[in-house]
Amino acid sequence: MKTFAITGRCIATPPPADWRERLAQMLGAKPRRIGIWAELGLYGALHCMADAGEGALPQDAQIWLGSCRGTHAATAVVLDQLRDDLPMPLAFLQTQPSQLLALLAARLSWNGSACFVAGADPQAMLRLASAQAWSDGLLLGWVEEMDGGSTNWLRLRPATVEGGDFVDAPKGELFASGLTHMRLEATGLQVRRAGQSNLGEQRAGW
Amino acid sequence: MKPVYLSGRGLACALGLNVTDSLASMRQGGVATSVCVLPGELGGRFPYYTIPYIRTDWNERARELVRRVAAEAGALDHRDGVLFIATSSFDIGAVEQGAPQTDHGEFSDKVAGWLEWSGPVYVISTACTSSLNALLAAHALLTTGEAEEALVLGIELDNKLTPGGFAALQLLSSTGSKPFGIDRDGLVLGETVAALRLSTQETAQWKFKGGANVIDGSQPTGASEVAVASMYQRALEACALKTDVIDLIKVQAAGSPGNDAVEAQGLRNAFDSVPPLASLKSAMGHTMGASGAAEITLLTACLEQGVWPQYVHAVDPGLGVGLAAQMPESVRHVMATILGFGGSHATVVLERA
Repeated sequence: MKTFAITGRCIATPPPADWRERLAQMLGAKPRRIGIWAELGLYGALHCMADAGEGALPQDAQIWLGSCRGTHAATAVVLDQLRDDLPMPLAFLQTQPSQLLALLAARLSWNGSACFVAGADPQAMLRLASAQAWSDGLLLGWVEEMDGGSTNWLRLRPATVEGGDFVDAPKGELFASGLTHMRLEATGLQVRRAGQSNLGEQRAGW
Repeated sequence: MKPVYLSGRGLACALGLNVTDSLASMRQGGVATSVCVLPGELGGRFPYYTIPYIRTDWNERARELVRRVAAEAGALDHRDGVLFIATSSFDIGAVEQGAPQTDHGEFSDKVAGWLEWSGPVYVISTACTSSLNALLAAHALLTTGEAEEALVLGIELDNKLTPGGFAALQLLSSTGSKPFGIDRDGLVLGETVAALRLSTQETAQWKFKGGANVIDGSQPTGASEVAVASMYQRALEACALKTDVIDLIKVQAAGSPGNDAVEAQGLRNAFDSVPPLASLKSAMGHTMGASGAAEITLLTACLEQGVWPQYVHAVDPGLGVGLAAQMPESVRHVMATILGFGGSHATVVLERA
């Protein structure tokens, strides 16, 4: 069982109305030809990293990205283009969720392990990520373009917390605000909320 | 850490509907490609490796192939294990036939339902490295004791979107698959459903040791020499092995003029003496997200049965590496590599008992 401290977060469900302008500010220019889903992902991940006070991701950190609908909208566009011609090359690339992993790698000056998990359960993704996490922790995000959009990210670092003040978290709690730590037990997610005692915490080196 | 064994495998590909038939086809020199016809100015007729199993309805065909392959891998007795579905194209072929575009949770439920799977289900989609990343995730769950059985199921079946996208990027060959070939002109895609069953309970002759996945953002649609070398180095470190114990590497070598050269240079950077190399692309095509599972299935079967891929094309001497014409005499440690879109470079290590 690994315990993580939440050192940065972006909870944007939905993202602010001006999120694209804010993304352009963070990048120094408007992103081009990468698709809205990837733009949303970039916005949330960079916001989360800024919140964590990190400009670059350590090489042994891992990126885990999930989505229930992923590049659904971009895929619909390409399917339409395919009726009587080949898709536009960049439109096809926008159907591949792994393109966002490459964009993040470039932006975060990082070469490392990253994975896209397609599904409906962020907590299940955390279980996979936790099993593979190393000492530099995780950048973990869940991005949806549909229904107003959402881009939720956590920067998780390994931690050792003495004391038993973790509580069981209901499903969907992973990206709740006000959490300081989390860990996965066999029975499910346990969290520690802000305001609970923080005695005895130290950085863990797995 | 608990040792993880490759305890079962199943395969349906252009070579045949199971491992035995696929090996028999390889012994006879392989199979001819079919043709994929794509619209538009950059479209046309492209060679394509099709599974010889004809059904009109995409879902019906996929369901039957998935069931066959999972059964061949012995997975139906372990349906409470962890199921990893690895794919880059999901069920887009069904959508092209008029089915509604579903979300990934529904796709996951559909495939799990075909197998009456009761355990946890994950869908991994990292383009062509999907099934290697699924294997690495499964390995982590098994070594940490979170699970005892896992099935990695690679699925890439007929659709127009994937070859259409590759054709739009001008990545497809119009002549044939020529891994590391002097006149290589692109990739030949193929279909497959492949299954690898990993277990900490049921010993087998191959151990899954681990591996590495390296994303390099500098080349979102291609490989990078630095990342290839880094991938090998990290994988060997993860498995506590040195370069000189590797007896064979199954390379990506998909026949891309640029990527094959980058991969070859990365290999030369990673290994003082490059081990014998093998490619299975001209036997079954590049099967994208399922290629890792499919090629490991076929490679381990080849090594056990003494079958070796035959390369009829001339290898490019400028690459500084070649493909082994014959099976190496003694193979204990094998690496299997896939490179893909999204700057994804993945390799895994198998050890023969």
